[in-house]
Amino acid sequence: MAKKNHIPEVDIVVDEKAGVIREVQPETRLRSKKGHERRVNTTIYVILILMSIVWLCPFVFLVLQSFRGESGGQVAYVIPKQWTLDNYRFLFEGVAFSLKALVKDLPAIILTVITNAAGIAGMVAFLRRKPKNPFEEKSGNLKNALLVFGVLLVINVMRCVDSTNCDFVRWFMNTLTIALFCAVIQTIMVLSVSYTLSRMRFKGRKLIMNVVLVLGMFPGFLTMIVLYYLLKMMGLTQAGAVPGLILISCASSGMSYYISKGFFDTIPKSLDESARIDGATRFHVFLKIIMPMAKPIVIYTILMAFMGPWGDYVFASYVAFGHKASYNVAVGLYRWVNTNDYQGYFTRFCAGGVLVAIPITALFMALQKYYVEGVTGGAVKG
Amino acid sequence: MNDLDFLRLSKPQQFVQKLKRFFLSLPRKLAGALKGLVMRLVGLVRGLGSFLADLGRTYVKGDWKTKVSYTVMGFGSAARGQWLRGLLFFVFQTVFNLYIWFFGRTYLGKLATLGTVETAKKGRVTVYGDNSFLILLYGVLTIFFIAAFIYTWYVNIKQNKLSEMVLKSGRKLKSARDDMASLLDTQFHKTLLALPTLGVTVFTILPIIFMILVAFTNYDNQHQPPGKLFTWVGTANFETLLTSPESDVRFEVTSSTADSAMLTITAKNGDILTVNTADPAAAVEAAALTQNSKTEFTLTQQADGSYQIEVFNEAGESVSFVGKDLQTVKTPSFSYTFRQVLLWTLIWAFFATFLNYFLGMLVAIMINKKGIRFKKLWRTILVMTIAIPQFISLLYVSKMFAADGLVNGMLMNWGWISQPLPFWTDPSWARVTIIAINVWIGIPYLMLIATGILMNIPADLYESARIDGANAFQTYMKITLPYMLFVTGPYLLTSFTSNINNFNVIFLLSQGKPLGLELAGNAGTTDLLITWLYKMTVTDSNYKLAAVMGILVFVVCAVINLVVYNFIPSVKNEEDFQ
Amino acid sequence: MASVTLEHVKKIYDGGVVAVQDFNLEIRDKEFVVFVGPSGCGKSTTLRMVAGLEDISEGTLKIGDRVVNDVEPKDRDIAMVFQNYALYPHLSVYENMAFSLRLRHMDNEEIFRRVTQAAEILGITQYLGRKPKNLSGGQRQRVAIGRAIVREPQVFLMDEPLSNLDAKLRNQMRAEIILLRKRLDTTFIYVTHDQTEAMTLGDRIVIMKDGFIQQVGTPQEVFDTPKNLFVAGFIGSPQMNFLKARLVRSGNEYSVEVLGLKVALESEKCQKLAEKNVQTMDITLGVRPEHTTVRFSEDANTIKGTIAVNEMMGSELHLHVETADEGRVILRIPTIDLTPEQRAGLAGGNALHFTFASKVMHLFDPETEESLLF
Repeated sequence: MAKKNHIPEVDIVVDEKAGVIREVQPETRLRSKKGHERRVNTTIYVILILMSIVWLCPFVFLVLQSFRGESGGQVAYVIPKQWTLDNYRFLFEGVAFSLKALVKDLPAIILTVITNAAGIAGMVAFLRRKPKNPFEEKSGNLKNALLVFGVLLVINVMRCVDSTNCDFVRWFMNTLTIALFCAVIQTIMVLSVSYTLSRMRFKGRKLIMNVVLVLGMFPGFLTMIVLYYLLKMMGLTQAGAVPGLILISCASSGMSYYISKGFFDTIPKSLDESARIDGATRFHVFLKIIMPMAKPIVIYTILMAFMGPWGDYVFASYVAFGHKASYNVAVGLYRWVNTNDYQGYFTRFCAGGVLVAIPITALFMALQKYYVEGVTGGAVKG
Repeated sequence: MNDLDFLRLSKPQQFVQKLKRFFLSLPRKLAGALKGLVMRLVGLVRGLGSFLADLGRTYVKGDWKTKVSYTVMGFGSAARGQWLRGLLFFVFQTVFNLYIWFFGRTYLGKLATLGTVETAKKGRVTVYGDNSFLILLYGVLTIFFIAAFIYTWYVNIKQNKLSEMVLKSGRKLKSARDDMASLLDTQFHKTLLALPTLGVTVFTILPIIFMILVAFTNYDNQHQPPGKLFTWVGTANFETLLTSPESDVRFEVTSSTADSAMLTITAKNGDILTVNTADPAAAVEAAALTQNSKTEFTLTQQADGSYQIEVFNEAGESVSFVGKDLQTVKTPSFSYTFRQVLLWTLIWAFFATFLNYFLGMLVAIMINKKGIRFKKLWRTILVMTIAIPQFISLLYVSKMFAADGLVNGMLMNWGWISQPLPFWTDPSWARVTIIAINVWIGIPYLMLIATGILMNIPADLYESARIDGANAFQTYMKITLPYMLFVTGPYLLTSFTSNINNFNVIFLLSQGKPLGLELAGNAGTTDLLITWLYKMTVTDSNYKLAAVMGILVFVVCAVINLVVYNFIPSVKNEEDFQ
Repeated sequence: MASVTLEHVKKIYDGGVVAVQDFNLEIRDKEFVVFVGPSGCGKSTTLRMVAGLEDISEGTLKIGDRVVNDVEPKDRDIAMVFQNYALYPHLSVYENMAFSLRLRHMDNEEIFRRVTQAAEILGITQYLGRKPKNLSGGQRQRVAIGRAIVREPQVFLMDEPLSNLDAKLRNQMRAEIILLRKRLDTTFIYVTHDQTEAMTLGDRIVIMKDGFIQQVGTPQEVFDTPKNLFVAGFIGSPQMNFLKARLVRSGNEYSVEVLGLKVALESEKCQKLAEKNVQTMDITLGVRPEHTTVRFSEDANTIKGTIAVNEMMGSELHLHVETADEGRVILRIPTIDLTPEQRAGLAGGNALHFTFASKVMHLFDPETEESLLF
């Protein structure tokens, strides 16, 4: 075969050492290859740097604009002429910190008692954890206990922020509440469904999967008005929009079982069988065998469920319509930026956006590994 | 032709051969599918028959406890000592009876008409009549309940039959304690699925069935309960959206003086024209003619720019006159709009899927190339668009490209342009901008997926390709791409359908704007079916058309899925590549 | 300790595929029974039915005196070792072994006693704190077995436990299982596709094919008197040679004509054939490679052939010999008795003479493939 002196433009995995080609004199080939390689790499670096600029610019602009002192809508320059923290100050105007919020009414008291009791129990459990057998070194896990303590502290502090005066903080808290509930309930739903469909065989299993497939092809907003009426019947619109949104986003969440089912499918069946012979009921198998092994997918599911509500505009605006106190951040900030009355709110939108983006982005980046595992697994499995 | 002969052919010949095979096999495939369908139907009928026969047989052969269970559910179970099951059956029956008696039957009865008594005002007091919405909703709920009842009733009978068999063979029945325990073991799937099933039934299935039914009613802002009733209209809404309007020709005199008249003409295709004429008498006559009989008309342009208008009917009567200042006030029809929006939806889905796919793959290949450093940094930068909530990033970017936005502002400041670029005001600009911004959002996602898959391509495939003398581009075409396409085939499919329903990007960027004059129902030129559906629901309260649209989106997705599943092998046989 | 009885057990899968046909077997208490057969023969399915992992479509399964058809695996008091070990990856070796005991709410001290004892038997005490991923294949195998023995079950099930190990380790583990079995002294059901494992381990071997039991017997029985062609071919390595031959009857005397050789059958065989009233007929003759002898001089009682392939196995030679009209015959010759000259004479391409005695002959009906001597 005649070897063309073609210069490869992109070249990915191939090991240079493995690629000595017979038809070409190794020396000249290698030398030209090195120079060529350098050119290719330089091109790639240039492209990547340009891309990075494009990718980061909007966010940098967003942050810069949030510190802009000049009033008005958009301006034709990036660097503010006048730097200010007013936009942020505005977001927190009238915020008060009051421990009373923890016990202001019955639901609040119940929530306080439950979260704190669970948190303290968790901490104690971690601290007092004894090795189950003499061959384990570790006892008492201070790191985990501190983690639980931190989460507990954050929840309590956030709940103490009296947000009645300030829209933004109120919206933020609404969204946080929805996100936390979704993270718990949706995860339970998704894991139950995916575990069942992956590990158990029963009559109607195929039927369920087909029904979900068919239902999934209907556009999501088709049923908006019915859902609205269902919520309204239960009194969960406008003032009750937050629980209403939690209910709606959790009720049907079992339908998105696909990715985690794909994960469960990869766990060998013989583990279940072995456990069942060892005396475990299917409940034990679920709790003691599969769940501890499914940590990546559990974290992925929690992450997705938690992040979802932060971007939910459509249904949230429909359910909370006209009741400002029930908005979530997406609805509130969307109003700020898109309604004419709010023209002056552009920089405040930027500030609010930054404050929402920071924690979410940080969380996402911290758990990126699990996200990548989830999406690649899901894409490959289809 | 056997496989060896096939392999001997050149590539184009092979392709022709493949096509030939495909089309030759098509009738067989269709026949197979049809046969399958018929077999299923037959099976269903047969199943129903044997089901009824089984019920009868169980009754005849069963003991008295079983017989009583046909009317009092759970009696047999309770009488045989399974009190918990018996109690549950009985409670269910009681609740069902009460529900039907006090609640369900009223709504069920009105389901056929969706209510007849309109809300009326008596003096100052509003007397509420029927509420069509609630009738439909509770009607569907009641039907659900009845179906559930029939199923439970059947289970109750089957239980009796099984229990009899078990007792006859000398074994023991399960106790209430066993039943409870089995919910964590052999019946654990029921425990796990109970809540999700309930949620999906109430908050997905029930609403979807409701909306499917709404598609056959005239529920819109003119017929909005509780003030107004709505009712069944058959397939009228589907016709509105799918078929071009076929209206009667109508001439109407909108204003007339002694020596001139203004006419509004409705053409057959629904277009509306206005015209002036100096002959009011003829205009009135023409209007009368169109009102009384089926008419047609012709327009002939004269040399001076005026029109000769001739109206005639089947009976041969005709009126003709000269008209000036002919203007077309085009009535946007829903069917035209639907076709336009559907077309754009498909174009959008195509670009959003494949452009992102190939660019994402390219970026992944670049980042993962040997010798490129800071891999993690590049990845992290790109992933920012996934991490930051879309409503922030997309809203901000949308503003950046607005007429008074940063991009236009800076370009004008630098003197590169004098007019703002019409990013959101010109239809074509808007569409391209949206696809471009979607690339910004979508590449990182694909980059992550592609990275994962690239890592999994066995290195020896590349090594053997290089030893065989393939250059980088050839390796890419022959190994990387086929492998990727194969592995991500199913993903591409789901990605395509989810892009059809990609609400966020369109809504946050352009809200479907710019509006198109030739489009009906507030549709904009960048509206997808889904965003149009949203507008119809929220802005126009045109629920009937929204419902039809939902069904059509479903049909589009289902058709695409079916076609792909049937004709692209990689989606079906995932294991083939290895 | 219990017997296991399978009566007319049948397994039909949802699609209508029949995996196991009318399986009848009584496994005695403390017996070591091996199910062997090619893949897809139903051996694993049968084992899994005993374990309770597959439903029994028809028939009765008893462990001890109890019918366990509808009993959940956890209530059958059995333990099972899986082919891929099925160790719980998130638990340490100790916890893997303790898992079943903890589910039974056993006292911590007792758990410790049992686990350490089992670990000692298997020599894995130093790994008790490790996670399975930090163990080698052989160690994992031991843990899997350990997890089964701490249970002290009535019946011990093993599903191809050695097939994931390399050859050397497999031999070693096989020996250990024999020792283990002596120690535990309980009922074993062992599934394998490897006839060597079956022969070395089993008190009795159940040979299966296509869902049917072909033969049940001690290793010696199935080796000496295979019931049909399949069993004859399956047991023994290299495989038994099958030759077309003719069985000739004259009165109550029988002889076999094969490759120009005429061999009179010994009286024992003749008696059996006469009892069954077998007439003169074409038969398939089976002769094991190790039952042939090479003659270095030609005489009337030898068959002539040409050596096609000569495989040197060390202690023995495997000779693939082309005969005049019967295709290849494999001979297995111990090397220890051969002189260097003789050895040189057995090179590929050389001619050779061999023979076999009447008592090593297996006679099969070519139609039914059943043994004529059974």
